[in-house]
Amino acid sequence: MSAVAALAIFVGGFYYIATEKVDKVKAVLVAAGGMTVLGLTPGAEVFFSEHEGIDWNVIFLLLGMMIIVGVIKQTGLFDFLAIWAAKRSRGHPYRLMVMLMAITAVASPLLDNVTIVMLVAPVTVVVCNRLDIPAQPYLIAEILASNIGGAATLIGDPPNIIIGSRAGLTFNDFLVHMTPIVAIIFAAFVLLTKVLFRRSFRYNPDRVAEVMTLQERRAITDPQLLIRCLVVLAGVVAAFALHSVLHLEPSLVALVGAGVMLLVSRADTYDTLREVEWPTLVFFMGLFVMVAGLLHTGVIETIGEYVIAAVGNHYLGAATALLFGSAVLGAFFDNIPYAATMAPIVEGLVAQVSDPTAAQAMWWAFALGADFGGNGTAVAASANVVAIGIAARMGHPISFWQFTRYGIVVTLLSTAMAWVYVWLRYFT
Amino acid sequence: MRARELAVQVPTVTPHDAVTTAVRVMAQGHLPGLIVVDARERPTAVLPGTQVLLLTVPRAHREGQALARTIDEPHADAFWKELDNLSVGDCLPHSLSRPAIVREDATLLEIAALMGRLRSPLVAVVDERGELVGGITLDRVLGRLTADGPPA
Repeated sequence: MSAVAALAIFVGGFYYIATEKVDKVKAVLVAAGGMTVLGLTPGAEVFFSEHEGIDWNVIFLLLGMMIIVGVIKQTGLFDFLAIWAAKRSRGHPYRLMVMLMAITAVASPLLDNVTIVMLVAPVTVVVCNRLDIPAQPYLIAEILASNIGGAATLIGDPPNIIIGSRAGLTFNDFLVHMTPIVAIIFAAFVLLTKVLFRRSFRYNPDRVAEVMTLQERRAITDPQLLIRCLVVLAGVVAAFALHSVLHLEPSLVALVGAGVMLLVSRADTYDTLREVEWPTLVFFMGLFVMVAGLLHTGVIETIGEYVIAAVGNHYLGAATALLFGSAVLGAFFDNIPYAATMAPIVEGLVAQVSDPTAAQAMWWAFALGADFGGNGTAVAASANVVAIGIAARMGHPISFWQFTRYGIVVTLLSTAMAWVYVWLRYFT
Repeated sequence: MRARELAVQVPTVTPHDAVTTAVRVMAQGHLPGLIVVDARERPTAVLPGTQVLLLTVPRAHREGQALARTIDEPHADAFWKELDNLSVGDCLPHSLSRPAIVREDATLLEIAALMGRLRSPLVAVVDERGELVGGITLDRVLGRLTADGPPA
């Protein structure tokens, strides 16, 4: 009976998260409250069980990285880079798009996708306005690039943080297994954009002078601050990579990095903490409690047993189903709650797989599917929603279908390429 | 002293008015801010003067200073010509904080505390139906305080 109650609360909460009929933070808090009040997840587990409660490693990793990003965004680096790129492109649309995508994709593995698009979208609109060209194709390309680039590392995309924590995968594991295929897919995506957006490319040579008057050097007022921030960021990335030597959890690395960043940048602590997306952190906490209810009442275990029975020894089939299933489901629901819900099911599946290579393949198939599913529709990832909101407010509205018709093509391409990679690397 | 005694008639705008109109209303009336009302004369936003000014700033430049710094002088001088026909509603912040509104029976202390807390030099006064009765400016409150306040 408790399993039915937990499932009902979870499905109800998920419905409101997916449809956004109410604020999603309120939806998860009500659902999480229901789970705890009805005793479907014990209070002690909620706070103190890493696997059957709130995963504080995820929460504090996000918090630390949000603080680091909050300082970096004050440096003006992205405005400098985007305007520099626009000038180098001399108004040629494809060249401009490639450069903006490259900036986004290179930054996304290290910084939060939402922040990247929030930083790059305004300057993109300014450049497009100067060139008198529609900004939508460029904004869509940046969103897609940020979701692809973010898949490369442990910290690049929230589903990866959830999966990494649940599976005990390190930053280096992601570098070794995810970064190569992400780089290949990004290269393919760059070529694809030339065809995808060909009808939107417009070259206005008489407007190039307008872009050349932008003064990118003025974006960075404190080069010393920029250097200090980049040094601290490099130190944080190095500490993630040295996990096997330092034995520090990623969350601790991020928190120490955030503290050092505040110290060396002399940024105002209060102002920087206001940049933290507190509602997102509360959303994650509530989500973990919702999933904990399913875990505690045995719902996840039952689903896991069903999946294991269905899979049998067909590990490639299981990886294929995980990859494409995650891409499809991740495209229609926000890929963060999807990853949080599926991670314990995949954990149960992996525990039954005797071949360690095939077991690892399950995690990578899951991560690739959930990450690339984020490009599927306009609501599939937080970066999409945020960037589309910014575009509308800046007078360049992107409709659901305008985004989705490009997103579906890119998701199909990236998922198919990822499947070939998983097959070749882990099953041949 | 109650809010109804301090309130004066102030010009208002609606979300459908052009931003350029709103700026002119505020400038010509020497107001410290603007009250935005709906079709039933209920205040939906009370914007301090600096926030009215912010309505004129293109969205791309509102979040941070770095991008604004990159704009060359001729374009920077003409920034508010980019507004075209944007309305007040188009330019209002995405998430508005609670507007500075008091009921008619609010005391001087309540009004002063609200102004300080919301950093708003203008407070809208509403009746029991929520309809606008008038506005209280910072000048009115300071004038009242200095008239009645403790000796220097």
